[in-house]
Amino acid sequence: MTTGIQQGGGGVAARPNSSGLADVIDTILDKGLVIDAYVRVSLVGIELVTIDARVVVASVDTYLRFAEAVNRLDISQEKEGLPGLVGDMTEGGAKHKTKGVLDAAGDKLRDLASDSREEERAPRRGR
Amino acid sequence: MTTQTETGIYIYGILPGDVELEEETTGVGEPPAPVRLVKFRDIAALVSDVDVAKPLGTPQDLMAHEDLLDASAAEVPVLPMKFGAVVANEDAVTGEFLEPHYDGFRAALEQLEGVAEYVVKGRYVERAILAEILAENPAAADLAAQATSAGADLMASREQQIQLGEIIGQAVEAKREQDTQVLGDALAGQVSASVVRPPSHELDAVHVAFLVEANAAQRLEQALTKLAADWDGRVELQLIGPLAAYDFVGMTPPDPSQSPGG
Repeated sequence: MTTGIQQGGGGVAARPNSSGLADVIDTILDKGLVIDAYVRVSLVGIELVTIDARVVVASVDTYLRFAEAVNRLDISQEKEGLPGLVGDMTEGGAKHKTKGVLDAAGDKLRDLASDSREEERAPRRGR
Repeated sequence: MTTQTETGIYIYGILPGDVELEEETTGVGEPPAPVRLVKFRDIAALVSDVDVAKPLGTPQDLMAHEDLLDASAAEVPVLPMKFGAVVANEDAVTGEFLEPHYDGFRAALEQLEGVAEYVVKGRYVERAILAEILAENPAAADLAAQATSAGADLMASREQQIQLGEIIGQAVEAKREQDTQVLGDALAGQVSASVVRPPSHELDAVHVAFLVEANAAQRLEQALTKLAADWDGRVELQLIGPLAAYDFVGMTPPDPSQSPGG
């Protein structure tokens, strides 16, 4: 996306990495300046997505997920063999699962994008 | 022109007044609305018309908001608004927004002259961090061994699994804290301020926003590259930026001796 701001002939700074959607959610829904002169507008399902992107509260589910991940490590090896697993990351099924939540949030947003056009979602309270 | 009752003014952020906008710049809404500047004295609000009857917040809206502000921040100081700031009309932009907050906005813009925000995110490589934790924690390693051999007794096994997972969860938290400290120390020389963000995933290793002077950005990247090499195979690091200083607006003014540019 090109922008539009120019000031007295300043150069364009390089952007090594732009944000993905999950990062954008972390940033602009959570941070930034807030003042009190707002008109209320509805926001499309954002709170839902934000919650989904934020599952870091420890729970039994989390614990079981960690335990499963441990089980997927090959612990039939001797204990001293365990650190060797560090270098052994191309094998085993554990890798696929590591992304999980953020990707899921991305999917959800994509879904929302297509949904919100057709069926009018119940407007949510916003600022 | 739409009638006033249906239209509000969406505010993206505040900038110095001496900026110019390219004509085709667009923002939130469907179709994306043209963006313009509303000036007051030597500051300006970056705004566009918005239909208040239509919900905002599609992925396009979110990206438009941040892209516009980040791209602006690469050129000039910007005070980014949180997504969703709308006032009634253009008079309200000046009368209720820019004018009453002028001194604060002006001072904050000065603070941000020549600096930008960078966010460092790191995610643990699952197998690596679990192996590390088991190697350091005999109790967890024992439980892991028992859990697999106790396969027949399902209830006992489930309890052990939960216990094991809890130990690992706590160990990950401790490592996150430790590694956040390591990151902070590694970048301390290159940054003016930092804000630790809450983790956004259970395997998050670090998630920190840094305020960085333009001339320190390259050194920041070098320091981070070195850390990434130290953590190779253990943490996947990502540098995002330069961004508008979302994490640093609204905080108390930094120590003047630290303030860039004077």
